[in-house]
Amino acid sequence: MLKRTMIGTLALLLTLSFIGSAMALEAGNKRKGKYTYRKVFSACFERGEVQSKKPPISPDMKTQAQWTRVFEKEDFEQFGCQQEWSKLGEAELSDIYAYLHDHAADSPTPAKCK
Amino acid sequence: MKSKRCFSYVVIAMILAAVVSGCSTAATAPEAKVLDWRFHDIVDVAFVQQYAKVPMADNVMIIDARPRRAKYDKGHIPMAVSIPDSQFDKMAGMLPADKGALLIYYCGGPACKLSHKSAAKAEAMGYSNVKVFEAGFPGWMSVAGNYASVSEAWMKQQIDAGADMVVIDSRPRRAKYDKGHIPTAISIPDSQFETLQDQLPRDKSKLLVFYCGGFKCKLSHKSAAKAMAMGYSHVKVFAAGYPAWKKLAETAMAAPVQVKTGPEEGSIDIDAFKKILAQNPESLYIIDVRDADEFQTGSLKTAVNIPVDALEDKIKSLPTDRPIVFICGTGARSGESFYMVQDLRPELKNVYYLDAEMTVHKDGSFTLKKPV
Repeated sequence: MLKRTMIGTLALLLTLSFIGSAMALEAGNKRKGKYTYRKVFSACFERGEVQSKKPPISPDMKTQAQWTRVFEKEDFEQFGCQQEWSKLGEAELSDIYAYLHDHAADSPTPAKCK
Repeated sequence: MKSKRCFSYVVIAMILAAVVSGCSTAATAPEAKVLDWRFHDIVDVAFVQQYAKVPMADNVMIIDARPRRAKYDKGHIPMAVSIPDSQFDKMAGMLPADKGALLIYYCGGPACKLSHKSAAKAEAMGYSNVKVFEAGFPGWMSVAGNYASVSEAWMKQQIDAGADMVVIDSRPRRAKYDKGHIPTAISIPDSQFETLQDQLPRDKSKLLVFYCGGFKCKLSHKSAAKAMAMGYSHVKVFAAGYPAWKKLAETAMAAPVQVKTGPEEGSIDIDAFKKILAQNPESLYIIDVRDADEFQTGSLKTAVNIPVDALEDKIKSLPTDRPIVFICGTGARSGESFYMVQDLRPELKNVYYLDAEMTVHKDGSFTLKKPV
């Protein structure tokens, strides 16, 4: 009985934390996120790690579900420029997520990085 | 003693005479009251028509004694100036320096006292050639071929309200109209009136407002007369013309524009933006942050092009004297530009972006849709 209750509570907590993190991501500002996303690569370019200021991954290169997974797992290695990504706070990450998610390949307004 | 008695009789006789004269005055009072305010020198419409012309004769002033906003602005005898009777003392300085100048006062018709009262005041100031056009503005408009002039305040109000009227610039097209004209005005130079008259609306009851280069310019008056001869029944002339309009626009520009914000942080309210563009576009510093090739396909008339990729390099040169509004095709790059300014020039507080889908056509017309 105790075991069952603990499993249930754990499942509930996991669900709540998943919903919470998704809601936190959803709350981002996509306009601000676009600027922050580009600023990451601009700073990275200034530091000399990349050859271009232009972000290597456009919003329309992934679906909304894929972007959600990337940000839930905080899997930012694929972007490169780890030094810049590691400095981003939660609000900035939410903003970037909002930008990428809202312009994903399967969104109503897919976008490339212009 | 005899002389004393005689003096008493004279005094009594004088008192009696005074009483009798007082009684007789009281008996004829109603008639005298009617004539009380009526000025002694009345003229007819033919007299006024001699002077309501461009250019106006020297030493003549036609004066509208009615309230300015409620009456004069909406329509007055061409070339008349506004000195409302209620403002006579304050505005007496507008009267000609020469006390022998011809002053013709009018107001709202035979029942209106204002012109009579003002004429009497002018005469009391020493003006010797003062007349009252008693039939007033209604009498003027009742004569076929006469039309009204309107003021710049009325013009602005109508244009701001999107009034159903056709504004016609009677000046030469290349030399004048193309260099600047009243918003919504079409160009029908008076010299080409006959060839371009098909641009006028088919509906002859539609309001037409003609203007040209100010009080000394005849062109709008000539074109108005031609339009009336064609059968247009609702014709006005904005006699102060483009110089007055330009001055009004410059004054409005000098006043700081109030920007209404939109629902998103940093965004400008779409309807407020449209209104400013219609009334006073120069009051905003509009930056189109699309690429140069997109900008060349058409943008807002007063916009400058700084592509978002070039904005960081130019960010120090952004002006501080008026609100800055970033525009682009969807709100994405304009929003990015807004946040760039927030990050790199946080001291700039009067910065906004247009969060809308914008389509600009070659002719400068545009459509704005709220973003998806």
